[in-house]
Amino acid sequence: MSTAPASGRATRAGNRLTLADILVTIVVSVVFGLVYKIWGPMYDVLKPLGLHAEQLSYGMWFMAGTFAFLLIRKPGVAILAEVAAAAIEAFLGGSWGISTLWYGLFQGLGAELFFALFLYRKAGPIVAVLASVGAAVASIFIDRYYGYIDQLAFWNYALFVSMRLLGSVVIAGLFAWALARALERTGVTSLLRPASAKDYDALDG
Amino acid sequence: MNLSFPYRETWLHRVNPTHKLAVSALLFLLVLLTHDPNVMLLLAVAALLPLALFSGHPPLRLLLYASPFLLLFVSSASGMMMFGSGETVWFQYGLIRITEESFYRGLHLGFRSLQVAAVGLAFALTTRPVALFYSLMQQLQLPARYAYSFLAAFNMLPLLAEEFVTLRQALQIRGGRRPRGLRGLYERLRMYAIPLLAQCIRRAHRTAAAMGAKRFASGAGARTFYYRYRLSAADAGYALYVLASTLLAWQLGQHWPLLPVKSVV
Repeated sequence: MSTAPASGRATRAGNRLTLADILVTIVVSVVFGLVYKIWGPMYDVLKPLGLHAEQLSYGMWFMAGTFAFLLIRKPGVAILAEVAAAAIEAFLGGSWGISTLWYGLFQGLGAELFFALFLYRKAGPIVAVLASVGAAVASIFIDRYYGYIDQLAFWNYALFVSMRLLGSVVIAGLFAWALARALERTGVTSLLRPASAKDYDALDG
Repeated sequence: MNLSFPYRETWLHRVNPTHKLAVSALLFLLVLLTHDPNVMLLLAVAALLPLALFSGHPPLRLLLYASPFLLLFVSSASGMMMFGSGETVWFQYGLIRITEESFYRGLHLGFRSLQVAAVGLAFALTTRPVALFYSLMQQLQLPARYAYSFLAAFNMLPLLAEEFVTLRQALQIRGGRRPRGLRGLYERLRMYAIPLLAQCIRRAHRTAAAMGAKRFASGAGARTFYYRYRLSAADAGYALYVLASTLLAWQLGQHWPLLPVKSVV
């Protein structure tokens, strides 16, 4: 087999998003956009407690990015998915309106950064957790300006940041990874990644 | 949103969707740069006015949509009020420590969330998704692959709802006991999420294949559009309103403050 390995290179060069990639990413994001919208009122009910219990649930809003990347594993998917899910939330009349687009963009970038750091080749739990932390840090960056969170009493600020990080590691990191792996077992992901370079290399060897 | 509900079309519906989106997004940056609660209050009023007057939806339905605003205001304000930093203590009980500074900062956050929610709801109620994506293709050259993917995804929403109902009925018929508590929640989530997502991916993939078969992705030649979107008189009115209300809010808020603080930082 001397023709197949060439496509191993070709797939890397052709890391561009195809129509199928885009469509799948956006459809998955629409589902998460719905979840994002439902998540809003729940978060608001928890929030007046003031002890940041609601921050544990914040990680749900980072899920589209990590989850879509774990399915498709191409550059740009995490950003596209986060922005798309945020757009759907805004369209459904989410409580944070158009500002979710800014959050989505930054959170997507934060997650994308870590996927890029591993050259888009790793899709295990560790990289998923790192990406979720990236998204959380990006969201905290905007909240510093929007919510003056740095002007909370120090113990409260520290609690806020650690709750959000913990929540995003559990939900957007580990849960997203577990969900993606469960989907893997249904076989649908073979539609998205028909054969990897590794498969061709295996044939080659 | 709410394509199925009848509404009266106002000039706000005729504003170019890309223009409206860009202005709404920029207004968020303006909010980030506003530290004077007096100005923020007026900016919130300026955002609520067009929503109340020109959304084209009947008042009762509008109130229903806007009902989370109160909760939003309380939830954004209370945390900062009780636990924010500040010097002049008004009230202290255990961990709760309300100071003058934190109280006004909390109010400021409440006004911010009102403004953001009002701008967002006004946008959602006066913009059809189809119009937005057609306009983005025409005004911002958004690639058709992205725009039509969004539109296709929107059309899958009813199918998704139908599938959810089917799935629920199937699970009911099959019966069986599921563990209670957190583990039960996770089980339930898994039973719904995985088939729904798998079905979504399959359907999206089939749609993409069908679009490709019709040479959609080839991208050759210039696209033509069934709907054309341009700028109109409504756009001039919208830009003028946003500009004038913003300037007015800054002037009035600074010269005739209602609250005794100038800045919350």
